[in-house]
Amino acid sequence: MVGLPYDCLVNPVGAVRLTFEKAVASGKDPATFDGKDWGATDLFREFLFDNGGLSQVPFLNPMTIKWIQSNTLVRFRGMIQDMLGNEFYVGAYKDGATWRTNKFADVPQFPMGSSSDMRIWERRLLYCVPVPGQNSWTQTSSEAMRNPYSNITSPYGEKRPREEITATTCDVDMQALDHEFEGSQCTKKMRGDGVPSQSTYPQESSVERTCSDVCMGPDFERNSFPCLVKIYDSVESELKLNDVFEFIGVLTFDPEVTTDKDKSDESLNGFFEDALVHLPPSKVPRLHCLVHRKLAIHDFLSGSHTLEPKSHLVKGVREGLLRHLTDVLGNDAVAAQFVLLHLLSRVHARVDSLAVGKFSLNLTSFSKETVSVFGNGLNLAINNLVPFTQCIPLTVDYLNSVTLAPRKDYQANRLVSGVLQLADGSHLTIDETQLQAGTLNSTGVDNARTLKNLVELQKVEYDFTYYKMEMAADIQLLIVSEGKSNILPADLVLPFHPSSVDSSEVVDAETLKAWRWYLATLRSLPHSIEPEMQKVVEDDLVAARQADRSLGSQDFSRWLTMGRLMSASFGEICLTLEHWQLVKELERLRRERFQGTT
Amino acid sequence: MASDSSPAHIHGGPSSPDDSMSSPIGNTFSSPGDPSTRRKRGRQSATPYKTPPPPRFTTPDGTPNPSSTNPRQGRRRASTSTPTAVTPSSTDDAPPSSEGGEADDGDDAPPMYVWGTNISVQDVNAAILRFLRHFRERPSDIEGKYMRAVHHVIEIEGDSLDVDAHDVFDYDNDLYTKMVRYPLEVLAIFDIVLMDMVSRINPLFEKHIQARIFNLKASTSMRNLNPSDIEKMVSLKGMIIRCSAIIPEIREAIFRCLVCGYYSDPIVVDRGRINEPTVCLKQECQAKNSMTLVHNRCRFADKQIVRLQETPDEIPEGGTPHTVSLLMHDKLVDGGKPGDRAEVTGIYRAMSVRVGPTQRTVKSLFKTYIDCLHLKKTDKSRMHIEDRMDIENGSSRNDEETPLDYEDKVEQLKELSRQPDIYDRLTRSLAPNIWELDDVKKGLLCQLFGGSALNLTSGASFRGDINILLVGDPGTSKSQLLQYIHKLSPRGIYTSGRGSSAVGLTAYVAKDPETGETVLESGALVLSDRGICCIDEFDKMSENARSMLHEVMEQQTVSIAKAGIIASLNARTSVLACANPIGSRYNPRLSVIDNIHLPPTLLSRFDLIYLILDKADEQTDRRLAKHIVALHFENPESSEQDVLDLPTLTAYVSYARKHIHPQLSDEAAEELTRGYVEMRRRGNFPGSSKKVITATPRQIESLIRLSEALARIRFSEWVEKRDVMEAFRLLEVALQQSATDHSTGTIDMDLITTGVSASERMRRENLVSTIRTMVMEKMQLGGPSTRVLELLEELKKHSSGPEVHLSELRNALATLASEGFVVVHGDSVKRV
Repeated sequence: MVGLPYDCLVNPVGAVRLTFEKAVASGKDPATFDGKDWGATDLFREFLFDNGGLSQVPFLNPMTIKWIQSNTLVRFRGMIQDMLGNEFYVGAYKDGATWRTNKFADVPQFPMGSSSDMRIWERRLLYCVPVPGQNSWTQTSSEAMRNPYSNITSPYGEKRPREEITATTCDVDMQALDHEFEGSQCTKKMRGDGVPSQSTYPQESSVERTCSDVCMGPDFERNSFPCLVKIYDSVESELKLNDVFEFIGVLTFDPEVTTDKDKSDESLNGFFEDALVHLPPSKVPRLHCLVHRKLAIHDFLSGSHTLEPKSHLVKGVREGLLRHLTDVLGNDAVAAQFVLLHLLSRVHARVDSLAVGKFSLNLTSFSKETVSVFGNGLNLAINNLVPFTQCIPLTVDYLNSVTLAPRKDYQANRLVSGVLQLADGSHLTIDETQLQAGTLNSTGVDNARTLKNLVELQKVEYDFTYYKMEMAADIQLLIVSEGKSNILPADLVLPFHPSSVDSSEVVDAETLKAWRWYLATLRSLPHSIEPEMQKVVEDDLVAARQADRSLGSQDFSRWLTMGRLMSASFGEICLTLEHWQLVKELERLRRERFQGTT
Repeated sequence: MASDSSPAHIHGGPSSPDDSMSSPIGNTFSSPGDPSTRRKRGRQSATPYKTPPPPRFTTPDGTPNPSSTNPRQGRRRASTSTPTAVTPSSTDDAPPSSEGGEADDGDDAPPMYVWGTNISVQDVNAAILRFLRHFRERPSDIEGKYMRAVHHVIEIEGDSLDVDAHDVFDYDNDLYTKMVRYPLEVLAIFDIVLMDMVSRINPLFEKHIQARIFNLKASTSMRNLNPSDIEKMVSLKGMIIRCSAIIPEIREAIFRCLVCGYYSDPIVVDRGRINEPTVCLKQECQAKNSMTLVHNRCRFADKQIVRLQETPDEIPEGGTPHTVSLLMHDKLVDGGKPGDRAEVTGIYRAMSVRVGPTQRTVKSLFKTYIDCLHLKKTDKSRMHIEDRMDIENGSSRNDEETPLDYEDKVEQLKELSRQPDIYDRLTRSLAPNIWELDDVKKGLLCQLFGGSALNLTSGASFRGDINILLVGDPGTSKSQLLQYIHKLSPRGIYTSGRGSSAVGLTAYVAKDPETGETVLESGALVLSDRGICCIDEFDKMSENARSMLHEVMEQQTVSIAKAGIIASLNARTSVLACANPIGSRYNPRLSVIDNIHLPPTLLSRFDLIYLILDKADEQTDRRLAKHIVALHFENPESSEQDVLDLPTLTAYVSYARKHIHPQLSDEAAEELTRGYVEMRRRGNFPGSSKKVITATPRQIESLIRLSEALARIRFSEWVEKRDVMEAFRLLEVALQQSATDHSTGTIDMDLITTGVSASERMRRENLVSTIRTMVMEKMQLGGPSTRVLELLEELKKHSSGPEVHLSELRNALATLASEGFVVVHGDSVKRV
């Protein structure tokens, strides 16, 4: 098993077939492999996680697609944007007397005889896109990765122990080589130059190469780099729409293959008129997934910050971050406190239609001038802190024209994404200061309602023409407006009172990392309450209500959310009296602002 | 078999069922066709045909058929995927003849087997014949059900025979199993048997009759279709989302020679292709490449591709709906339109796909589709709102998903209904997250179940729908209740009074920009016909829209007169509205009318008006605090108690609405009369200067509806006394809150019907009682009389409130006088 890791990286399909042959040789009937694994993924798991092979697997993105070869192991991080159902394929077939497998591959290794025995297996098709609103800093690690093949003197043959390879795998390699002639040619060239850097690459490319570059160019902009992931033997409930996953598997991608429009049979088109027609293999890379894992925000933080959430450490980070936010917000410390709590919020439970834990924030008293100063500053700061951020400039025209909620296109049989199809934990800033009076058309009314639903219930209704389907979301919403926004009723409304213009201090990378880590870690902390504290809180609520009848369950809910977030911001998992007092103090300060303005 | 008529293919018999499969299926599936050459046909059944039945399942591309190409797989399937199989499956690999002896005794012809299976053609043939001839729905029937059906089909010159799979199952379990597992083979035999039978009955009958199987014992979920279902008969439910245009598919082609004008014989499609003759077949001509297709004389069949999508309720959380393609032929074309819900029976097929232009990429992928045998439109919304009982009496079994499951479910529901606390349990299960408000929930429950609508022959009709109005302080979870009901009810429409115009809420006329046709487009109320229309922020609704509701709530129709079209549309809907009081918070000193600011005419159309008041009560506040703290800190799952889940609740409600039609028992009717009289009398309290109308006929209608609903909750066909009593209680609870005259605690319907201010009334009552105590204190019984003005002075000293006018005092004294407490003579008052 000396050379196996290398094998897994460059010729994963070979490795899969090797295990298959072993399994068959050990007397197992291929018929028993239906919907099961015979040990191939175990091999890869071992290679990736136990033997640290993961770091050698290149990321698939618009940059790397240019040099990554087909049929090698890659990883892709993305959000499941659509599910294209199941696909049936010939999983195993008999070539003469030997069983062969097609798993984790598009193309059979050997031509299948028409009379051969075969087993039909199924795999799931997932249409994945890069996480919407992903900030560039999350990608630094992947972008920095150089072409690993450039260091390898010879990718084929030499490094692999001969005894491990049967003649068949050699054959595959030869086929693969032919098949990806284009790709290997490029790597060879690069090797020859000895300058394996990305920047010099275009100059080296041959004429055809630039051609294909040109045709690839428009397809692969930052946020429209889709990937069709084929999932094998997974539990259906494991992968859900809008989940963010890392898929590690075999890449198949032929930019050269021209789509053959086989129009010979008219009636056939009815069946083909589905998603796959619009996603030809030449445009959308395929990834035969061997291993997938769900990603949390943590996984997007560069560097392995494995700090313990110790209280003194956390306190320090908290203070630093709070100071930074205060600076960004023109010395408005109260607003900074609320923004901090807001950034730590997430929906942690759903009871009936209620989303418990959401904490949307509406900063009011912005004018056109202040928005350009502080609004932008705040946006920048948030972009630097949270991995996925989006910003919606709310105008009448925008509302009337944009598609916010995803919609099913029955012609293409695809789910057409909308602005609000976001991964859980995304941050969304809505700038309402630009909104002028105007007439909304029906789209506008729909969009306004969709936004309102999102703010109130953390749900987005996906439009399936004949019915609507509610999808739960977990999005942090920040609304920036002149007056209180009635279109988007946020949980907390706070008039923004800046007193100085941002001093715009430069934050060094290490501090930023610490802050990101802080937000990501503390956000996911569990939370509980002691019985005594519960009593105190209840008494406080009752007393407050006796004093002011206008307080309702929503206000109480907000206070408790704030209490939770406040203690979380100190890294505590239990609400303490001290933090509860802080919350009440904050609430008092907030109320004062309203009295001040009216 | 299509190829049989062409001279190139001559098999042992005039028609062999397997050929019909092999012809559409490509290269890999050639094997089942082969054995047909080495077997002979059972003559006794096969002789009289004139023409073979047309192929049913033509597919343009090759269908690899794993079941028939792999005997081993066939065995695996038989033993694993269909455990119910009765047929012995171990004999698969054995040569067919080995089983022949026992399978087919007394027959000279060696038995034929469908390749790769243990299906003996003769056996199946005989079984089908037996089934068709002898199946009777009731033992008393003289003629079999399907013989009758066959005759009927011949009479109307139809081309298909609907066969209920349940009948097959009941008659011949084994045949059913074979049919589901090897539908291609068995159905082909079925068609031959049918044709044979038809030609015996009426030799002149030319059409081919096809068997259309429906109502399988088990239906599959689209999500669970997997490779083992390929080439099996499946039944699916879903929603049609797309239909292709109708594709004419050529079945027989006729060619003409351009040189000599010779017309060729019809050439039948062979494996999805027509072999164009290259040479003129006329001996004298024999011109090369002269044949051209004559479109007019070719035979075409309709074909359509339809996409079926999972219904929303089958989609698991976080998933998107799956879709499947359906291939429809002939009569099935245009059987459904996008948006229809349908149940489809058909054969799951797979077809190989080319991924790339290279040869080797072919066949590693499959496209799947369903060859449709039968399509039934179902319109099953969450509640079975259509009262199907009167339409198709008795045959209702066919509507059910899978009757076996259904029976089970019904049994479960009935079991539930027998529980003594079912009423409370359902109440608890309704919006369990909203605490308190039990009586409101009970009212809503009644609304969900509904009373029975009554149509008299005289044309008068009484609605069965119960309308409810919730009025209350903000933050009392009215909207949540509304949302919940909306989720639960069929065709529930949720609209907000703010922003919905009269048109939007009811119906409007739109003009098609292209054709200029006027179409009626219905709004919320029409859309929620036989459902519940939830209107939030009722008070914010425009006058116009509200006036529409008058008609809807009593007559249950919406009339529109626009663009020359006057239409009255059904809007048999229950209205559930909620409103905030006028000053956003309920003012207990004002009457309901003043608080809600709705016209009394509209208000009186609500059966129940609930006031959800936020009382300044520490106890309630504490409960609220506790509730919210629990919401945030406890695991919400753990707090759930013994409640029914939403699907069960929905099933319960829909079953009751569909099947339970309670009638008033004599006892209940008596109680109703008694209670009503009592209610009216109660308003007539002593001392009142004028009779207060306590209850109106509208209330008795409401009461009947409520008691019917209550009986339905118990799945009882009779409205009993306790239902009536509970209905009275509910009405009183609602009314006491909404129409209480605060000083006396009695019900005053005048408040609702005329809108006399309650505060006014209360003031009056207060005045009377103050005077009463004053008189008690100051004057002795039968003592000297007092001047009215003196009393007024005295009153002003006592009461700190608003000034009392002389006229008011006089009115109050008059009331006291009518009670016989005092005597008033001009200006002097005397206690008696």
